[in-house]
Amino acid sequence: MMTMEKIEKHPLFKFLRDNPKATVGIFLIAMILILTLGAPIFTKFEAGFRSDQYRVAPNGEFILGTTQLGRDVWAQTLYGGRTSLMVGVMAGVIAVTLSTIIGITAGYFGGIVDGIITTIINIAMVIPQIPLLLIIAALMGGVSPLLIGILIGFTSWAWGARVLRSQTMSIRNREFIYSAETLGESKFRRLFAEVMPNMLSMMSSAFVGTIVYAIMAQATLEYIGFGDPLSVTWGTMLYNAQNTAALQTGAWWELLGPCLGLIVLGSGLTLINFSIDELSNPKLKAQRIMAGYYKARKAEKTYAEAGAENE
Amino acid sequence: MKYIFKRLGFYLIAFVAAVTINFFIPRLMPGDPVQMYMAKLYQTSGKIDAETIAAVEKLFGFNRDQPLIQSYIEYVGNIFSGNWGISFSQFPLTVTEALSRGLNWTMFLMGTSLIISFIINNLLGILAAWKRGSRLDSVLTVGGQLMSNIPAVVLALLVSYTFARSEIFGIFPSGYAVTPLFRPANVMQYIGDVAYHAFLPVSCIVMLQLGGIMGMRANMINQLGEDYIAMGRAKGVPERKLMFSYGARNALLPVVTTFAMQVGFMLGGSLIIEVVFNYPGLGKVMLGALNSRDYPLMQGILLMSTILMLSANFLADMMLLILDPRLRKQGR
Amino acid sequence: MSKLLEVNNLSVDYITLKGAVRAVDNVSFSIEEEQSMGLAGESGCGKSTIAYSLMRLHRPPALIADGSIKLGGREILKMETDELRKFRWEHISMVFQSAMNCLNPVVKLEKQFFEIYKNHGITNNRSEARTLAEELIQIVGIPKERLNDYPHQFSGGMRQRVVIAMALALKPKLLIMDEPTTALDTVVQREILQRVYELKKDLKFSILFITHDLSLMMEFCDNVSIMYAGKLVEQAPSRTILKNPQHPYSYGLKNSFPSLHGEIEYMEGIPGSPLNMSNIPEGCRFQDRCFRAQDICFKVVPPRNHRGNDFYDCHNPMGTLTGSKN
Repeated sequence: MMTMEKIEKHPLFKFLRDNPKATVGIFLIAMILILTLGAPIFTKFEAGFRSDQYRVAPNGEFILGTTQLGRDVWAQTLYGGRTSLMVGVMAGVIAVTLSTIIGITAGYFGGIVDGIITTIINIAMVIPQIPLLLIIAALMGGVSPLLIGILIGFTSWAWGARVLRSQTMSIRNREFIYSAETLGESKFRRLFAEVMPNMLSMMSSAFVGTIVYAIMAQATLEYIGFGDPLSVTWGTMLYNAQNTAALQTGAWWELLGPCLGLIVLGSGLTLINFSIDELSNPKLKAQRIMAGYYKARKAEKTYAEAGAENE
Repeated sequence: MKYIFKRLGFYLIAFVAAVTINFFIPRLMPGDPVQMYMAKLYQTSGKIDAETIAAVEKLFGFNRDQPLIQSYIEYVGNIFSGNWGISFSQFPLTVTEALSRGLNWTMFLMGTSLIISFIINNLLGILAAWKRGSRLDSVLTVGGQLMSNIPAVVLALLVSYTFARSEIFGIFPSGYAVTPLFRPANVMQYIGDVAYHAFLPVSCIVMLQLGGIMGMRANMINQLGEDYIAMGRAKGVPERKLMFSYGARNALLPVVTTFAMQVGFMLGGSLIIEVVFNYPGLGKVMLGALNSRDYPLMQGILLMSTILMLSANFLADMMLLILDPRLRKQGR
Repeated sequence: MSKLLEVNNLSVDYITLKGAVRAVDNVSFSIEEEQSMGLAGESGCGKSTIAYSLMRLHRPPALIADGSIKLGGREILKMETDELRKFRWEHISMVFQSAMNCLNPVVKLEKQFFEIYKNHGITNNRSEARTLAEELIQIVGIPKERLNDYPHQFSGGMRQRVVIAMALALKPKLLIMDEPTTALDTVVQREILQRVYELKKDLKFSILFITHDLSLMMEFCDNVSIMYAGKLVEQAPSRTILKNPQHPYSYGLKNSFPSLHGEIEYMEGIPGSPLNMSNIPEGCRFQDRCFRAQDICFKVVPPRNHRGNDFYDCHNPMGTLTGSKN
């Protein structure tokens, strides 16, 4: 039987309580996931549904109003979210895979291999990504969300690669790698069994960061007009809003859906990224240490008590 | 001196790489851009003869009789001698001419945003590091990062709507760099007008860069842990001076390096913001080029952006040389 | 000679996620005028923490929890910020552990000296300050033109001398030297310490010399205090510690440093590793590593045995056993 006490002592609850950033982040993401993946539950309209009420303000029937073409903004937000998420995740996966392979290879093998790869990474970093993205998209005509995901993945691996490379190099020099060598393990095996687990936090951080970037880049591309105008994503919603003069006619609700979605998703992911950092490096929990410090300074109690309060 | 040459060498290589990418992208894309362009041309002017096709191909640099390598070398040569081709959508302007129209305003916007953002980010970073662990610190770090992760599009649209168009707060203009048809009576009025129009776009760009607070903060924290801070304090240096002349001055050095990278991100964002605010900079040129599939112009924009990035990097390298005496000629 | 520095019941805590860890526990000692006192112990036993406390240089999460520190009769722990700022460097100054890092790398030396004079109201005039600095820097044997250089342009030994010059700029009564020679080779070490010793006689200041190198301390200091795990375990004139240490730890330390003279001996170290400060046992802190430990040592905190101005905290001291054949 779960009493209140038992719940409070449960490790999961304690984790959430000790890490407010993670909690809020997870909550935001969960909300988005639930709303978008479970779209049919939350709206009775289909994404492509056209009613005969053009550009009405939010009311009882249409929670977020309708667009110029009579589509329900709320439904579009929910269903569009699915696509946006998928694109983001896919881009993230591609980018992280690329940066992991490239970065670790460079850092691990060193020497000429490293030299060449580093130069490539530096060049890739110096060429501005968004103009590049836009041009490729333009040259291909409109691009489907899937393609956008792939493109983004292939153009945003540089920064992650550099970070992972320096991490690999510092780990490579650590003792336990040398000891593995004396035991006779093969280079590749060492690479995976020993180097990678240490970098898990960096990799997941890069992954989350790339998803954020990917979702933003996708929305941007579509807003400019290079998405697939027939698809429903947050970006295309903005594109349609712009092209049907939503701003000028004061139809703020058309913007609200996709903007809120993007903001909530971006914020949630960023917060999670912060908590990944904090978890892997507990010294970053500076605020809690400092809170204890100030308490100890102000209180005239003994320090054993102040210490205990921090538990 | 060796340092400068090494950096310049790298930038040259990077530029050539950008040019190469520029050369190969249209050729790697599915569909033949020449054909697509011809189709458009046919729609507008109905002319399709062999001469026109040859002329267009030449403009593109798609010379089918030549081996690829030769086209490539010609292309690189052209780029370096300033011949970036002729714009389709703004015929008969050359690409360089079309670009220069937008360049001024973009440089103004980005330059202003860079300076303001640099000052704000670093000051806030210093503050966050000095008051490390306090509420203020958390708010600044997390808040800044959250701000940065909002897509430029979203922020620009929201800001534009709220402060330019809505009834309550819409006090700023919703577009353009200067009020059309406005004849300023003197320089001050002109500056005022420009500032009035630039306020929102610059604010958006600066807000998007707030994530940079973390960088300066991290550097400051590293510096504050160093012994020379403790010794400075012991020597009797007042706290404020410790923060700036000791800590910040040294923490600034790594910041200058990331500053160059920042420009890259800023560039992408500012182009979008220009589009939303209808600002007559490179963003607008780019939008026009993209929409009319004006390849030479698009390529020109990519090259121009790359040049801006490389220049920013180079500038950062120079500043580092000035600020860090350790990089200068060593010893006596 | 009267007492210059009086430290009573000093305790310093570090606040961590798991609560407060007491790095310095109820330490009391005093230094007289023109006396040099050595403070010895392993890394991490709290020596630098004490040094920082004397000048109130601690920053969060370090916290001076309790005690009193009086220099020339003035209570340092109760001073206001401005008073403290003026007090530092004028009456008490410090030579930091790594001369490598304790000078601002982007400021010329001349300016770093000027700061000292300006912040203490000696002079606001740059050329006056320059003259003063030139005198000072020549005392430690560095040509005065070098004032125009940056810290990284000096060798390790020279940098150390510069730092010492800076520390003596305002003629303090107490000079703290925190492991001043660890990064230097023995020849330079000797030169520098010799110079400081001469300056001490001329300018008449006291020294608190912190190090883990006991042999160095023997030659240089009048009195020695031995620290272990945050507590002072023995204090005596250096000769006494050399010949007749009472605390087993002092004995172990002394025997860990080979002598250049005399016969070749079998070296003893001190078994075990430093105490984990978040897990302090009952009784004597040295219990796990002590070769003279008895049952009582595991239960009761050892009492302080006084011998004139000296003391040692031990249940089972060495007594009259002599030390090694030095």
